[in-house]
Amino acid sequence: MNVDTIVDAPATDRPAAAALLEVTDLTVRFRLGGRVVRAVSGVSYALEEGQTVAIVGESGSGKTVSARAIMGLLPPTAEVGGSVRFRGEELVGLSERGWRRHRGPDLAMVFQDPARSLNPTMRVGAQVTEAVRTHADLSRSAARERALELLALVRLPSVRERYDQYPHELSGGMRQRVMIAIALASDPNVLIADEATTALDVTTQAQIMGLLKDLQQELRMALVMITHDMALAARYSDEILVMYAGKVVEYAPTSAFFVGGGRMPYTRALLEAVPDMSRPAHSLFPVVPGRPPDLTSLPTGCSFSPRCPCAQDDCREVIPELVEHEAQHGWACLHPLAPTGGPGV
Amino acid sequence: MADQIAIVQAPPAASRGVGRSWSSRLRALELWIPGVVLVAIILACVVWPWLGTLPDPVNGHLDQPYRPLGTAGHVLGTDTLGNDNLSKLVYGGRLSLEVGFGAVAIGMVLGSLLGMIGAYKGGWVDSIVSRVLDMFLAFPALVLAMIIANYLGPSALNVTLAISLYSLPAFARLARTSTQRLREQPFIVAAKLAGTRDWRIIVRHVVPNIVPELLTFALLSVSTAIIIEASLSYLGLGVPPPAPTWGGMISMGQQNIYSFKALLLLPCGALFLTVLALNLLGDALRSRWSSV
Amino acid sequence: MASVPATSPRGGVPWAAAVRRATRRVAASPLARVVGRRTLQTVPVLLGVSFITFCLLTLLPGTAANALLPENATAQQVHALEHQLGLDKPFVVQYLDWLRDVIHGDFGASLGSQQPVSDILGQRLPVSIELIVLAFALSLAFAVPVALLGARRPGGIVDRLNVVAGMVGLSMPMFVLGLVLVLVFAVDLRVLPAQGFVPLGESLWRNLQHMVLPSATIAFPLFCHYTRVLRADIVDQMNSGEYVVTARSKGVGPWRILTRHAFRNAIFPTLTLVGLNLGTMIGATVIVEQIFGLPGIGQALVTGIDTQDIEVVIAIVLILSLTVVVANLLTDILIALLDPRIRHGRSHG
Repeated sequence: MNVDTIVDAPATDRPAAAALLEVTDLTVRFRLGGRVVRAVSGVSYALEEGQTVAIVGESGSGKTVSARAIMGLLPPTAEVGGSVRFRGEELVGLSERGWRRHRGPDLAMVFQDPARSLNPTMRVGAQVTEAVRTHADLSRSAARERALELLALVRLPSVRERYDQYPHELSGGMRQRVMIAIALASDPNVLIADEATTALDVTTQAQIMGLLKDLQQELRMALVMITHDMALAARYSDEILVMYAGKVVEYAPTSAFFVGGGRMPYTRALLEAVPDMSRPAHSLFPVVPGRPPDLTSLPTGCSFSPRCPCAQDDCREVIPELVEHEAQHGWACLHPLAPTGGPGV
Repeated sequence: MADQIAIVQAPPAASRGVGRSWSSRLRALELWIPGVVLVAIILACVVWPWLGTLPDPVNGHLDQPYRPLGTAGHVLGTDTLGNDNLSKLVYGGRLSLEVGFGAVAIGMVLGSLLGMIGAYKGGWVDSIVSRVLDMFLAFPALVLAMIIANYLGPSALNVTLAISLYSLPAFARLARTSTQRLREQPFIVAAKLAGTRDWRIIVRHVVPNIVPELLTFALLSVSTAIIIEASLSYLGLGVPPPAPTWGGMISMGQQNIYSFKALLLLPCGALFLTVLALNLLGDALRSRWSSV
Repeated sequence: MASVPATSPRGGVPWAAAVRRATRRVAASPLARVVGRRTLQTVPVLLGVSFITFCLLTLLPGTAANALLPENATAQQVHALEHQLGLDKPFVVQYLDWLRDVIHGDFGASLGSQQPVSDILGQRLPVSIELIVLAFALSLAFAVPVALLGARRPGGIVDRLNVVAGMVGLSMPMFVLGLVLVLVFAVDLRVLPAQGFVPLGESLWRNLQHMVLPSATIAFPLFCHYTRVLRADIVDQMNSGEYVVTARSKGVGPWRILTRHAFRNAIFPTLTLVGLNLGTMIGATVIVEQIFGLPGIGQALVTGIDTQDIEVVIAIVLILSLTVVVANLLTDILIALLDPRIRHGRSHG
């Protein structure tokens, strides 16, 4: 996969310096009782300031693991390979101490479930202040002022009152705002939002995504959006990577997906799974038929072939390579679908 | 994604694969070492007095007190009254084991019966049983045993009964929770629907299912019961002298702590070893049961 | 307040509404509800415990008449005395009489020394309380750092030593441990006294010298137990707490995550244990006071049982068992106070 082509497109006038974040051939393996789980294999992408990349896939596609690998947050049992470079500095293989320098000021993360991701026994304000003081030598009162500023920045209502409350006293949306405030505490260059809005209701989801985009503009951050929701990715990202069974199966600028539709049948299925507004609220979400793959025993050939409506015999024997077939648009499929005529959404 | 993270955060997998034989061997040792030690202690205490090779633990020669360790005829020396220390240890141990196992057996049978009936019947029977048990649990075990032993009068049987009363509520509670869990199981419901009598369901279905758990807990309780027996004897409220007891020996040892340390260390060591073996064995069994 | 019928005139008196509002607010506070419910549950247990105590002790062989009258007393004399002491009344009446006196703080007088039992308790309770407070302070002061060190590297050297030492410690009967400590520190090293007691008011230093070994004897098994439980809970929080990942993503250091995040969430089971042990360890004071010759209530209990001094024994047993019940109650309240989730009316989970 030619990484440079993806990266260079939106920022052509940039000198050929190192990208802000450059992920090359990232692999993550876990050993579980003698079996090897290849959670992520060969994921590559790059990000520049102010850019948004969305990584889209079902549960178990390896998107969260790949995001945690970028911040060195996987448990010690994980074997991480490939390369993650921040402004040219290699992060894979750093010690915990080395990682800590980057977590916060360089890379920050917002997690899926704000109810579990905040410490239930610690006041909200203290959790923000802790993030502030970890990387800045501030006095207690200065850190408190900064934390209040951050909470106001994420538009938490009645900040001073909330500061002394515990997470369970806040609504889901407010908790996620607190999580974002924590992530912003040290002015990160890259913000990773790992299913940041999945646990929230639709209205709150739109508010939080709007907030993230505003903050991205204001603070010139790069954003990595991890989601299973193609519509969300389409609305907020510049670039989409579709992952299946730990691999990138298709990538393209966001607009390309919605002009021509995905070429890989899995992408197409995800696009078709987008809920439309006429559906009643809380009705069952249409999903890609079939079960997500078992990462410990992947089929030979294309890992999507067991669920693929267009699979042919060669799909079950040959593993398709991810090749850039069109400008900035690559897919890994032996029998890609023809582009659709109009916009997909 | 969440399910995948859950897989990832399962405990390190080192226990399988290469490490498997090692850790399973280690686990076997955890079971066998205390098991063998315990069997050795039991055999020594139960069989040795029968062989008739030991000197009398009482009525020793008053003219041969304070013999040091290694004296001919008295391998572990003699006490202040000229009694053989080894013989006292063995007879005292036999008493400790009898009382310990006896008390726990009584407590286990009566306690689990109460607990099973309470949980099986439910309703007011259960409420009364558990309230009364709560009250008994409020008494410090040793204090309860002291008073009851004193009330019944000092003898091995009465000490056993007193200690059994301490272990009874704990067994009842354990049996109660296990039975409650079982009561909703399909095979019990099926047996009830088939018109099987209550006592028959209890005997045929409930008892076999809770016995492993009860026995493991019993092993750990025996160690507590032995400690309480020794404590009572130490305080002079247990089986009365001249019967040799570990607690009594420890008390005598304390009085001679400046002059003859072996008198204190021998019974302390015997008590510690026995309790440690029981605890380690119980612990190993428990982890084996819970991992199955 | 919830049972006020809807038709009842509201706010007839100005302050009545205010009182009603205040009552409702307090009743609605989850903390007050937890405390209130647990306190109410305790009352029947307290009554039951006092009744069992009374039954146990009035059935003891040494009756008051036997102890007070000469051996050759006639049946008539015994009868007269029993009447005078109220022993010929029905059993339940005797219990209620006794309970009434106890509630008024009147425990009767020692049959041996004729000293009021409340005086005996007043002299001896402080000794036992000091012993227990010191023991718990010692055990927690050591258990917390050791558990944290062990949890820092699960399976590491500190951790493994911990597990082994813990098993040995839990199997060491308290009086064996106490006597070994005496042997080492008093007999061999001669740095601490083997026996005796100096009141706190007389000399703090000498009081502590006499208290170190007894409280260490009680503290050691507790220390082993707490270290074991606390370590396991901290490791569990470190492995499964999502907030730990958040803290790591902030760049917070591992030691701080351990102490500020995981520890705070892991402390609750250990606190419950402390409450439960507070009760069981009261029984342990009996043994420890005997070994070290401390004039606490445990010693008074042993003497009382020996001399069949019922009034003393009954009072001490009552105090001991009440302490167990109250200790459990206080633990629950303490946890409700410390855990913001319960404090604000949500259960764990």
